[in-house]
Amino acid sequence: MAVGSKSDRLQQLLIRLAVVVLPTIVIGYITLRFLNFSYTSLNTGLFSQTIYFSLGLVAAYVLYYYGARWVVTFFLLWIAYWLFEKVINRLPGEFDVFYTTARFQLYSTLFIFGWVFGFLLVRIKWAYIILFAVLSIVTLVSISDTIDLSLSYILIHIFPVTVYGLYMYFLSPLLAERIELDKKKSVKFLLRVVLFVVLVMLAFVIAESLLKGNVKAVEKELAARGAKGDKDGSQKDKDNYDDRDGLMDKTDDGYRLKDTMRVTSKMSQSDKLMFCSKLDNYFPDGSPAPIYFVYHYLTRYDPVKETFTRDINVPSLDEITVDPTALPMYYSYTDTSMIRKSMASKLRKVVEAQVYLSENTWKHSVLGPASVFSIQTIPVEKDFQKTFIQGYKIVSFTSELNNAYFVYNISASPTLEPLQEQRHDELRSVKSYEKTNQEFLDYYTKMPTGGIYDSIAKLAFSLTPKGSKPVDKVIAVRDFFLKRNENGKRIFRYTLKAGAVDDPNIPSSKMLYNFLFKTHAGYCTYYAGASLFMLRALGVPTRFTTGFATINRSDKNKGWYWFYASQAHAWTQVYFPGYGWLDFDMTIGNEDQQSAPKPDGTPPLPPPEPWLVINGKAENVNNSSKSLTVSFDQLIYFNTPHQMSRSFTRPVDASLCRVLYDKRDTTFAAIQPGDSMIIVSYKDEAKKIPTPRAGVSIENQVNNFPSPIIADEIHIRVKEKDKKKEGAGKKAKPAEEKKMSWQEIIWLAGKVLIGLLIFVLLLPVLYLLYCLLRISMAGNSTTKANHVYRAALYRFHMAGLEREDETPLEYAQDKVDPTLSAGFEEFMRVYLRLKYANGNLRDGDVETINRFAKNIGSSIRKKMGIPKMILNYFNVLRASRYIQPTSKTDYENQLL
Amino acid sequence: MTTNATKLKALTENIETIIRGKPQEVKYVVTALLARGHILLEDNPGAGKTVLAKTLAQSISEGSVEFQSTNGGVAFKRIQFTPDLLPMDLIGSHIFDESKKDFVFKKGPLFTHVLLADEINRASPKVQSALLECMAENQISSGDATFQLDPFFFTIATQNPIEMEGTYPLPAAQLDRFYMKISFGYVSEEVEFDIYTNYLTIGNGKSTVKQVLTYSDIIHLQQEAENVYVHPEIIKGVVRLVQSTRHHPEIALGCSTRGGITFIKCLKAWALVNQRDYVIEDDMRALAQPVMHHRLIFRNREASRTALQQLVDAEVNKLAKLGIQGKK
Repeated sequence: MAVGSKSDRLQQLLIRLAVVVLPTIVIGYITLRFLNFSYTSLNTGLFSQTIYFSLGLVAAYVLYYYGARWVVTFFLLWIAYWLFEKVINRLPGEFDVFYTTARFQLYSTLFIFGWVFGFLLVRIKWAYIILFAVLSIVTLVSISDTIDLSLSYILIHIFPVTVYGLYMYFLSPLLAERIELDKKKSVKFLLRVVLFVVLVMLAFVIAESLLKGNVKAVEKELAARGAKGDKDGSQKDKDNYDDRDGLMDKTDDGYRLKDTMRVTSKMSQSDKLMFCSKLDNYFPDGSPAPIYFVYHYLTRYDPVKETFTRDINVPSLDEITVDPTALPMYYSYTDTSMIRKSMASKLRKVVEAQVYLSENTWKHSVLGPASVFSIQTIPVEKDFQKTFIQGYKIVSFTSELNNAYFVYNISASPTLEPLQEQRHDELRSVKSYEKTNQEFLDYYTKMPTGGIYDSIAKLAFSLTPKGSKPVDKVIAVRDFFLKRNENGKRIFRYTLKAGAVDDPNIPSSKMLYNFLFKTHAGYCTYYAGASLFMLRALGVPTRFTTGFATINRSDKNKGWYWFYASQAHAWTQVYFPGYGWLDFDMTIGNEDQQSAPKPDGTPPLPPPEPWLVINGKAENVNNSSKSLTVSFDQLIYFNTPHQMSRSFTRPVDASLCRVLYDKRDTTFAAIQPGDSMIIVSYKDEAKKIPTPRAGVSIENQVNNFPSPIIADEIHIRVKEKDKKKEGAGKKAKPAEEKKMSWQEIIWLAGKVLIGLLIFVLLLPVLYLLYCLLRISMAGNSTTKANHVYRAALYRFHMAGLEREDETPLEYAQDKVDPTLSAGFEEFMRVYLRLKYANGNLRDGDVETINRFAKNIGSSIRKKMGIPKMILNYFNVLRASRYIQPTSKTDYENQLL
Repeated sequence: MTTNATKLKALTENIETIIRGKPQEVKYVVTALLARGHILLEDNPGAGKTVLAKTLAQSISEGSVEFQSTNGGVAFKRIQFTPDLLPMDLIGSHIFDESKKDFVFKKGPLFTHVLLADEINRASPKVQSALLECMAENQISSGDATFQLDPFFFTIATQNPIEMEGTYPLPAAQLDRFYMKISFGYVSEEVEFDIYTNYLTIGNGKSTVKQVLTYSDIIHLQQEAENVYVHPEIIKGVVRLVQSTRHHPEIALGCSTRGGITFIKCLKAWALVNQRDYVIEDDMRALAQPVMHHRLIFRNREASRTALQQLVDAEVNKLAKLGIQGKK
């Protein structure tokens, strides 16, 4: 740093603040932005975070620029902290809250970070390398937590840090010296910086466009949980629904409720029709009885990521795992173990429901009232095929106590309370969980301890008198959320922008804490999460349930309900021995805002029922008469699937038939001999339908089938190669296996870095070999002298004798020969004469050159010993100084 | 070792027997002499400036017949510059000769071989410029007559850096006339002890200096110095160096072309003094300060200390990175 007059120093400081500190603040801001995106836990206002970071940075920079000592400033910081603490203790209220919350910790951490950065920037020449490394790692980590991970995404995030690193590298030689404020030069300098940034951007754009082919391939590997792989604009622009923080993920196959859930600042909702359903559940008087539709159970709470997640090792989980799209049309999948796993015996009944999914919905999991144990795929009525593209029928083992009128939160309608009290009375028969399996109990009452969780538990205990019955505990928690303040207004309220009051992001647990003790505002995840913790703390087995609240009942079509994306919901299920898992919806309705009922989206008619479904292969196809023969050995006859001992061939009349390929209508001509297909024939009075006869083998019954069989629908099964073609664009596989964790990414980056590191470490040795090779290849003695000179300079440099501002001759006389006595000076005289006197070789010169060439190695070896001599070549820093001497005299280099 | 080298070695060693512990400075003085230039010594009183000049003169025998010194060496004159000194005190004046009834020119102390101009900045500009004209042109004009000085004419001027009151600092144009400006500095403890023990008789005039060279030897060596080979790369380096002094932001006045020419002349002489017949980058480094520094005007004291050195170091580094011509 130049020692100049006071004003000069000030001027230099100002310039540095502009060219070094400002970009650092900008990059800090960008990095913090990424972090805030990825970690909801930060969540205290990006702007203030940046301010605190900048404060630390600038303060440290100015202090250390004026030569403050580390120890002194440490004490200064400590005194500031101490004073701050004193002030805080005197001033209760706003400060107090700030001081005790996580915000203070976060801000002080950022401040310290800024401080350290400032210190490094002033004191260490290559500080930018450290900064670059730290920022890159932070960025990488923040990216790795992203769901839609693609290469271009990574590139975009890494880009600013890279630009910063290059910029600082570019600037660093300049910073070692005074920076001139010459008008001409500063214009030149600015131009260069601008040019540099433009070039880097250009390079980035070119790289991205060149890599595009690769990007897609890599994206496929990296893309997590069925994220969109191909980035064709039409799909991207189709809708702007971005439910990053909400309950659903967007996938190729529609929106999907998340597997993991955490409470976040705000939730966005869309008005898309997700599915509709006909639920065959009625009150004794015949009026429809709705039930909540369950999607997943998030049984485990991950205290590290602070999310509710699905779990594999759950004691008896009554969640059917089957991909409905994998089932052929009219085929069913039944898992009766679900009935056992629902662990219920009292007040249970079997309920059937038809579910029709729109294209907006994820189609690879089953949606239905709790404890679905059987599923059968069914076609969608022709008129509604544009709206609904997948249908299935489910059979559930449902508790009568799960009737939605028992479940709804009474805040919506107080008239429900007496009704719900009936359920509570029933459940009061459960006094405790003494007889429940201990492992089961432990699993479903597990919650982390410490800090926030303890205070939640404490709150829960304060709500319930000791020895309360489980259901009373649940009621106590429900009533806690229903409490009103002295003005008669509810303390808790519903908002999609929870916590957005002041701070948009904090860890889940803190958000829950704030929700319970401060803001009292949140959406369903908050209520479900908070009640889950409270109930678990009270020893009540509870699980987090995601799905859809059943609200919109069709008036036209009895038993039909329809579901919009905004009905995606989270609630809790509580286990009562004997009764099984029962739904409890703690979410307070939105008092301020009632959304208008959504339009009726249900189809008017249930689809016709087939009497026969044949799974076979087309043999002969006659296009003119629209008939074909089909061979088959599998069929469904009056809803009973059969596998036959031998294959049959039957003619099929398809003159009035719908032909579908991949759920889309096509023409008869699309049928090729050899196609696998499913042929459906409806129950129809006009047809002569043979009824199943008990005790007769299916083979014999088939012989009685009318010939030809009149087909109503033919579903051509998707051919393998078409499937593959599709697979390139779409990702049907569940994403659990594909998600690349940040550890993997760091490991990958680490491998690349290690590779680079080894390469860099080997560079000095490689250069040495190159030097030696050149000596041995030299044609004549003059050339040889030249190469020997180079090699000597390099080897003595690597041996620790670094030439600084000396001339080579001085270097030889004063540095090398006194230490190593290598005869360097003698050689230098010959060399200089060859170089500057245009002289020819004289007698003895060749010997001098050769002698010295041999001497270099041996003299170093004698002085240091072989191990040290070899080790010296791994000193990369020293080698880098050989290429670019740190000499302060390189005046010309500083001029850019 | 060539005869030139032997002779020069003898000369420097001879001077060094009197001027102890200052081999570099002695070399500078000899270099200025061989480059046919003049030298300005800037130092505190009592550092040995006068003795150096005298010893140099005494080491050389057989001056031209015109102005023979008393002890057989080349002529040595010393002028103490004072504010009331007049040009005619230096160059002499026409005085009326009674016997010839005519004005004859009485030669002043400038008519000598080695001239010691003590405290040159104390004299008035009139006197200074008279001296500098002689140094530049090697001739003296008085009235209508012009007198040629001896080709040997060599001025050692001194200047006192302290007590600046009542002095007339040399303007840049006149400083430029001096090939070199060096400062002596004090000697180390050991050398000083040596001087006090063995050389107490130095200033008493009864010199014991041997005459090791002849007048014609010097003339010959001066010619030899001109023949020293300067590699084009070195010349390029000098050009770059001179140019860079003109563009350096901290330097108000850069080096003139005359400065550059002088630099190359001095490089040649210096190489010869160092027993070489070619110039190397070390020479540039050794001579840049004494030859160039006094020609430049710096914007601040900091720059005055470091700027030139930085430029030279950069140039030297460039030359050092260069391979043997045509080889990489």
